[in-house]
Amino acid sequence: MPRVKRLRAAIEDFGEMIFFAGEMLAWAFRPPFRPELVLTQMAAIGVGSTFIVATTGVFAGMVLSLQFEYAMSQLGAQGYVGGSVAVALTRELAPVFTALMIIGRSGSAITTELGTMRVTEQIDAMETMAVSPVQYLVVPRVIASVAMFPVLTMVFNALGFAGAYVMGIYVSRIPAGPFIAHTRELVVVGDILHGLGKSLVFGAAVAVITCWRGYSARGGSRGVGEGTTRAVVMSSITILVVDYAFTLISVAKP
Amino acid sequence: MIEIVDVWKSFGDNQVLKGISMRIETGTTFVVLGGSGSGKTVLMKHVIGLLKPDRGRVVVDGVEISSLRGRELTEARRSFGMVFQAGALFDSMTVHDNVAFPLKEKQRQLSRDEIRAQVVEKLRVVDLGEEILGRYPAELSGGMKKRVALARALVSNPSVVLYDEPTTGLDPITTDYVDDMIVHAKERLGVTSMVISHDIASSFKVADKLAVLYDGHIAAQGTPEEVRASKHPFVQKFLALWFEKQSSE
Repeated sequence: MPRVKRLRAAIEDFGEMIFFAGEMLAWAFRPPFRPELVLTQMAAIGVGSTFIVATTGVFAGMVLSLQFEYAMSQLGAQGYVGGSVAVALTRELAPVFTALMIIGRSGSAITTELGTMRVTEQIDAMETMAVSPVQYLVVPRVIASVAMFPVLTMVFNALGFAGAYVMGIYVSRIPAGPFIAHTRELVVVGDILHGLGKSLVFGAAVAVITCWRGYSARGGSRGVGEGTTRAVVMSSITILVVDYAFTLISVAKP
Repeated sequence: MIEIVDVWKSFGDNQVLKGISMRIETGTTFVVLGGSGSGKTVLMKHVIGLLKPDRGRVVVDGVEISSLRGRELTEARRSFGMVFQAGALFDSMTVHDNVAFPLKEKQRQLSRDEIRAQVVEKLRVVDLGEEILGRYPAELSGGMKKRVALARALVSNPSVVLYDEPTTGLDPITTDYVDDMIVHAKERLGVTSMVISHDIASSFKVADKLAVLYDGHIAAQGTPEEVRASKHPFVQKFLALWFEKQSSE
């Protein structure tokens, strides 16, 4: 019986989150618009995450380059290391790793901030002042996420490839000519767009989930802590599932 | 005028309000007294539409708040100010931005200087100087937070002000001060006030009318004298301790 109850609560919660996302959409197109809040959030979510995303990107590129070199040298195809790394980065690793890094750094912060505002009645207070908290707090965070996820994914792409280049040319001693030439051959603009398309969707999903977990937090600091844990778990899993579905659809041959 | 008509509310199996009716005349102060968990805050949240009744209705100045949703509700709230129990100041904003918030949002045509002037004026009314404008709520004492919250609730000149336990946790001097503020707001600005409290001394000082809430019902309602004369056992017990203390002094 408690299991049925828990399942019911989970379904109800999911339904409420969908309504929440709908409410957010409706408010996003209604004046007053608040560009200054969007910019503040872009700085917090995007600019603030540059360091962690850049570091992850460089290391992911370097490690991938070394691993691909190890595998491809057995086929005598070292020249293809750069292209393989670039395809893996642009289509999969950059959007997914970037999203996971932002969830850990900024997603958790969003839930904690909104959750604290909820349990200390700041969100209620805002409502009593004739301001929609969804419009004031949630809309800017969602817009900022949707805008900044692709930007950070591009940062990851660029630095990841730079890391791969340094490792490939200076450590694995692959000639620069074929390294670059094969990369140009293997990577098409569609690969980059595929990755950026994913990151747009990830940005929206992460922002809605983390905002909702904070917005619906109950029961003091414990509730905020629980909400943050759930937000990180839920958005990470959502990213992986959406990524899988996205990839499956894109590679399916008609 | 605020009219609460036969309001019922439950959370899960917990029936919190069981048919509450009261009427608050324009320009008067109405205090709802009750112990912890008696449903006072729940009742107040119905007046400003943060909660919807399961049954019954709430009408403020001819507008049925309990039936409004979304944008209409947001519009209707423009005439309200509310002071929350713990202040509920925005902790990411300075004192200036907190007090300016309702002004900026409700009267978008105001210039920065006009807003600042009104903020300073309202802070002066609660005895706070310009030096705290740049401070954050975390840097204020409990009493100061409460006064800033009071200034924020009054800054847009609302016609209805709701106070959620305005004197809880304050020292006697600040309590007296907050009581004066409530009386002052009524007399000078003509606001209709609803105060919820378990502080009997304060309540009898500021109230034109009182109601005592007990177990989701109204145990007594009327002028302070009428409530004091109530024969209801809970009301007698609730008031007895305090009046005994008064007479022994």
